[in-house]
Amino acid sequence: MTSQDGEPLWEYVVELPKVRAFALAVHDRFGAADPPRLPPTFPVCATVEYVTRLIVEQLKLDRRRVVHGEQEYEYIRPLRVGDRLLCRARVVEDFVKTRSRGGEMRFVVTETDMCDALSGELVLRERSTALVIPTAEEEGV
Amino acid sequence: MTAPRVGDSGPAFEVNAITREDIARYAAASGDANPIHRDDEFARSAGLPSIMAHGMLSAGFLASFVTQWFGPDCVRRLKVRFRERVWPGDRLHAEGRVVRLFAAPAGAMAELEVALKRADGTAVVTGTAQVIVTGAYCS
Repeated sequence: MTSQDGEPLWEYVVELPKVRAFALAVHDRFGAADPPRLPPTFPVCATVEYVTRLIVEQLKLDRRRVVHGEQEYEYIRPLRVGDRLLCRARVVEDFVKTRSRGGEMRFVVTETDMCDALSGELVLRERSTALVIPTAEEEGV
Repeated sequence: MTAPRVGDSGPAFEVNAITREDIARYAAASGDANPIHRDDEFARSAGLPSIMAHGMLSAGFLASFVTQWFGPDCVRRLKVRFRERVWPGDRLHAEGRVVRLFAAPAGAMAELEVALKRADGTAVVTGTAQVIVTGAYCS
């Protein structure tokens, strides 16, 4: 699905088993609380598919050369189990930098807004930077 | 309840030797099926010695350190930078410091500098967080 201006748009529902499994995996003790509280990086579950498709299918990048550079979350309110989120993603930056030790590094920055599907209000924003690193030959080593 | 002060360093948070099972569990929990985290042959074709852990697994550990320190639902902003790859067998621990206390419409806030480090002190993930200060603060 895409929005009117062509941006990828999808719905993500926060489900209890997912929260429990994620909390366990990142050693967060509050996923088991009653009511469960979500680990701060849980929203990556809502965007991993979009980012993978962008890298592999749209930009056709070699995954051997793609590394995760940065990740950022900005919360308006905490997430809850049962939240229905309307997610809208976009590439906000895509540029190449020449490295001093040779080779070029490409930066692809995506931003995803997650809104409460019922109220329409923004709940959180995720910003993610993927780096395409040079191969050893390109670095001249 | 104790209140946080600039310079406070947070509770102990350690990950004793990441296993391949930990990495597989995170892959399943997050939905990240990138072969670089599960297929040694693929990882070697990328010039790596073995599979590596997800950067977001380390970021998740760091976030868990922050919630253990300031309580659940405390995070308003979290920004991390991935500095080093993490391999099966790595022992990690989190370090943090309160660098600023300030007031926001949501209430009393603290700004933290945090890092996930190997036993030798190498930072694998560094970041900053802004958290709401509540009664759940744990010094």
